[in-house]
Amino acid sequence: MNTLINVGVSQMGASSSPTVLRTILGSCVGICIYDRMKKVGGMAHILLPNNPGDGNPEKYADSAIPLLIARLVRDGANKEFLSAKLAGGASMFKFNASVTLGQIGERNVEESKKILEKSNIPVLEHDTGGNTGRVIDFFLEDGRMKVKAGGQEKLYYKV
Amino acid sequence: MHAHIQQRIQEIINNLDRLPSIPDVASKVLTMVNDPDVAFKAIADEISKDQAITTNILKLCNSAYFSKGKEISSIDRAIVTLGIKEVKDIVVVAATREVLNKIIVGYDLARGELWKHGIAVAVLSKRIAVLKNKKSIADIAFTGGIIHDVGKTVLALFVQNTFKEILELVQTRQIQFAAAEKEIMGFDHQEIGENILNKWKFPEVLRSIVRHHHQPDKAPAEFLPIVSIVHIANTLCLMAGVGIGADGLYHELSDTAIKTLGLTNRELEQLYGDMPQVLNQASGIL
Ligand SMILES: [Fe+2]
Ligand SMILES: [Fe+2]
Repeated sequence: MNTLINVGVSQMGASSSPTVLRTILGSCVGICIYDRMKKVGGMAHILLPNNPGDGNPEKYADSAIPLLIARLVRDGANKEFLSAKLAGGASMFKFNASVTLGQIGERNVEESKKILEKSNIPVLEHDTGGNTGRVIDFFLEDGRMKVKAGGQEKLYYKV
Repeated sequence: MHAHIQQRIQEIINNLDRLPSIPDVASKVLTMVNDPDVAFKAIADEISKDQAITTNILKLCNSAYFSKGKEISSIDRAIVTLGIKEVKDIVVVAATREVLNKIIVGYDLARGELWKHGIAVAVLSKRIAVLKNKKSIADIAFTGGIIHDVGKTVLALFVQNTFKEILELVQTRQIQFAAAEKEIMGFDHQEIGENILNKWKFPEVLRSIVRHHHQPDKAPAEFLPIVSIVHIANTLCLMAGVGIGADGLYHELSDTAIKTLGLTNRELEQLYGDMPQVLNQASGIL
């Protein structure tokens, strides 16, 4: 049986095959990173793009991603074999354009991509934006990501 | 619009037995708290009559979120130590858990998600009330937060069969999910919630919160601030994915609510950033 780990808001989870990491996303972004050779992987559930230095590195894209990568390397992953998938970053259906909270989802996606690029980790798949909530399951047996949104399921296999 | 669905929902509303029930003590306490002539002792006696709920209430009084440190072993002590408003909130938590803590099929909410959502919205509503110098209504905002989506428990079954149509209407007409619910089924979850609260004999302010939480600008002027608080708390919880279901973020973030409370961009982002703390506090009540 696969163990299921629920990753909460501004938390991080890492494990190896055949564990499944699950999280529920609105405007937050779920960053799934996988080593296809070692079959170890991890997920970060970030709430906001940039860390103001408040001692909660898991909460922000720019600090959570390096932390997750370091954690995976410590768990035996090889940085060369790491690849990423992204999900989440939805926005409210309607909001006044002057309300910056409305752009948080997009900013989360942008920053996550930027930090992954800086870290030389390719983003192979993403299911982001729009107005849907997403339940994502990240299967560490083969690195696939299942996204359930608005009553429909999609699978992303590239690793 | 599906006339037969509208008719079936109308039948449920007309036949009070088919709407969810909660222990009588909740409405009694809500009424007594608002009556300056009622002594605290009378309220304590009323609660203590219901043994099962008293046990739950005492557990909640001693939980991390409500506890003031000292062990509380009677309702009398709870009122003295925590205050009557706090005890009233605890009564509502204990009384509504069973109705809200279940699977909500049509909205794709797993068991416990709607309950967690209500408690998180309650905790955050109270925070917003305190932040915006509305401490005197913080307790009512908390109560309203718990139950704001109670209508989903009844409407879910109908949403399950009409979900695709609702979503299509949301997209083609660019209207929010609750408005599309009404177009397709004749009712939205806010109206059904209001009917449930009528059955429970809950006060007008709570009915108004439930009825208008997606469109605060439609609330009566006297309730606009409190409806706005719950609206903002609901938005922030959904954005953080807490209790987000098949209806996703297909809702409006009301400018009226933001302006009514005088929330700045910075404050909104800060409140959203506080969500991990809010969830931590909420977990002490679940
Ligand atoms: Fe709602
Ligand atoms: Fe809600």
